[in-house]
Amino acid sequence: MTDKVIYAMYDDDDVTKEACQSLVDNGVHVADVFSPFPIHGIDPIIGIKHTRLGIAAFMYGITGLLLAIIATRYFMVSDWHGINIGGKPNFSYLENIPSFVPILFEFTVLCAAHGMALTYFLRNKTLPGMPARNPDPRTTDDRFVVEVRLAENSNFSLDQLNDMIKETGIVEIDEKTIK
Amino acid sequence: MEFQISNKAKKVTLGLMGVGLLLLIVGFFFQKEYLFPTVLSDHEVYVEYWGEQGEKESDVKAEAQEAMAALGYQLDFGDEGEEHQNHGHDAAEEHGEEHSEEAHAHQSPTFDWHIHIKHLEAEGHDAHAAHGHGHDSAPSESLAAMFTNGDISMSDSHFRRFWSNLLVNGFFFFGIALGALFYLALHYATESGWGVVLLRIMEAIMSALPLGMIILVVVFIAATLGLNHIYPWMDSDVVAHDDLIWGKVAYLNKPFFWIRIICYFGVFAYFMNWFRKTSRNQDSEDVEKATASHFLMYRRGALFLVFFAVFSSTMSWDIIMSIDTHWFSTLFGWYTFSGIWLSAMIMIMMVTLYLKHKGNLEFVNSSHIHDVGKWMFALSFLWSYLWFSQFMLIWYSNIPEEVIYFVTRIESYKFIFFAMFVVNFVLPMIFLMSADTKKSWPYLIFIGLVIFIGHWFDVFCMVMPGTLFEEWNFGLLEIGMFMTFLGTFVFLVLKALGKSSLVQNNHPFLEESKHHHG
Repeated sequence: MTDKVIYAMYDDDDVTKEACQSLVDNGVHVADVFSPFPIHGIDPIIGIKHTRLGIAAFMYGITGLLLAIIATRYFMVSDWHGINIGGKPNFSYLENIPSFVPILFEFTVLCAAHGMALTYFLRNKTLPGMPARNPDPRTTDDRFVVEVRLAENSNFSLDQLNDMIKETGIVEIDEKTIK
Repeated sequence: MEFQISNKAKKVTLGLMGVGLLLLIVGFFFQKEYLFPTVLSDHEVYVEYWGEQGEKESDVKAEAQEAMAALGYQLDFGDEGEEHQNHGHDAAEEHGEEHSEEAHAHQSPTFDWHIHIKHLEAEGHDAHAAHGHGHDSAPSESLAAMFTNGDISMSDSHFRRFWSNLLVNGFFFFGIALGALFYLALHYATESGWGVVLLRIMEAIMSALPLGMIILVVVFIAATLGLNHIYPWMDSDVVAHDDLIWGKVAYLNKPFFWIRIICYFGVFAYFMNWFRKTSRNQDSEDVEKATASHFLMYRRGALFLVFFAVFSSTMSWDIIMSIDTHWFSTLFGWYTFSGIWLSAMIMIMMVTLYLKHKGNLEFVNSSHIHDVGKWMFALSFLWSYLWFSQFMLIWYSNIPEEVIYFVTRIESYKFIFFAMFVVNFVLPMIFLMSADTKKSWPYLIFIGLVIFIGHWFDVFCMVMPGTLFEEWNFGLLEIGMFMTFLGTFVFLVLKALGKSSLVQNNHPFLEESKHHHG
């Protein structure tokens, strides 16, 4: 099924936000906005769901913590039982837990950060080497592009959509057919 | 956007103060000073007393004799008998010296007894042995329990508990006001926009700075005059016999201490007044003048931060760390500062929620509350991080003069010391981690109040082990004084809120703050 997509380009984040607001007020569904930096407050306007990346990060953190607990317990207490480091022999994990807290903390952070970054890249399909999905390379520089799809706005014709978009403060408008 | 303290709020805060005072007075007259028993064997107890001699030693001896007679024993206080005298005395002296050098910067116990417990009626050898091993609790245990519970105790003659509590509360509430002043200066110095609608709340909280200052000055004057023994280095007898303190005399002496205190309080009070005055004047200035005022505050904010960076550290050494004069920790300033900042942030949050609930803050939206919530969450971590760093480094290196600080706390304050840490670390971590709870009023109020009290206990654990040693107690005196201070503090804050508009109409970033979206 083919679909028509309109790309409206803006040169200011606030204008982009206002344009999205006016389009949404008119009943248009905005598919996405491409921007060189995060625009605060645009998510609820175009109806993007709240990210679940935080929950993922928490899970990665917990995983890291557990792995670190298992590892330190195995290395320092089970395998090299009772080795005396700095007058603190590792006979019991619980009694010696303060000396393991730094590594538990660091490993938690390591897992949470790397897990979160990888998940982010994977979910956005932006791993290094993946084809770029933004419609115009200038959206990585100083331009903002609003994407409106015809199939998602069945109440409007292509011309109606074009007219509505042109009323906002655009600097360029482009139309594409995607398969 | 005006606010006037309502009659209900007046009644609640002043009522809290009144009830607190009542409890405080009741608690004040029920103070005791404890005697410290060490069970040496089933029939031997070593007792020491570190306080001022309030009532006669012999009266307390008689009291103990009487209590044990009821159980069928008689006591020998180590100054009777032939063989035991020397032995007992030596043991006691050794014990005492060890104690004074490591734990307290005081010379030796006021008095100590080496008590031998004998049966009242002459019993056979078998019965004696059976008594020693067969019973659930040995007589020495029961006697020790009487001392520990305060059934047999000295009455408090120098109000050490009262003074220590005054220091705890004075410092805690002084810290909250100072934390608000610091955050206000930080907000100006970083040219932040989001929190403009909250600045008047910070101004009101910092306006209560004199409360803590006056109380602290009273404590310091009393300490200087020798009315309390909070700071051992202020006692020339102690200093003369203590090499470690003697080595610190260049810094820890009364004149220099007072110069520093006057510097801190003078600088803080000056900036507090200046910020408050300038921002109130700004409300009636024209736009150009108001912008100029803003940039002046921006520069003064940065200047204040320079003073604060140095003073917050040295202040915590002078007021708190010098109580344990032998001990030192390079992290202490930061640790104290993080607690101060967090308590101030909780206070800002609570006042914001209260005013929002009253409908006085039309421009404060959920993003502002979310951001203050983020501060509460992040600062809880900063505090936990510093607390643990200090603890772990000292615990790991295990150097006697450092580790004694935690030995005292873990031996005699174990429950509140660790419970306080767990509450202040785990509660915010679990319950304030999600973005939703940082915006949810019930969560914020509950967690905020719990960790607010948690941080009061943090200050309690900083002060009490150095002033009351093992003789601490938690009762009406503590609760009453906390309530009095809290009531007064909140009353002063709400009163100060009424003195100006709740919005800084001419602040250049007001528009940005109104549209703040996190």
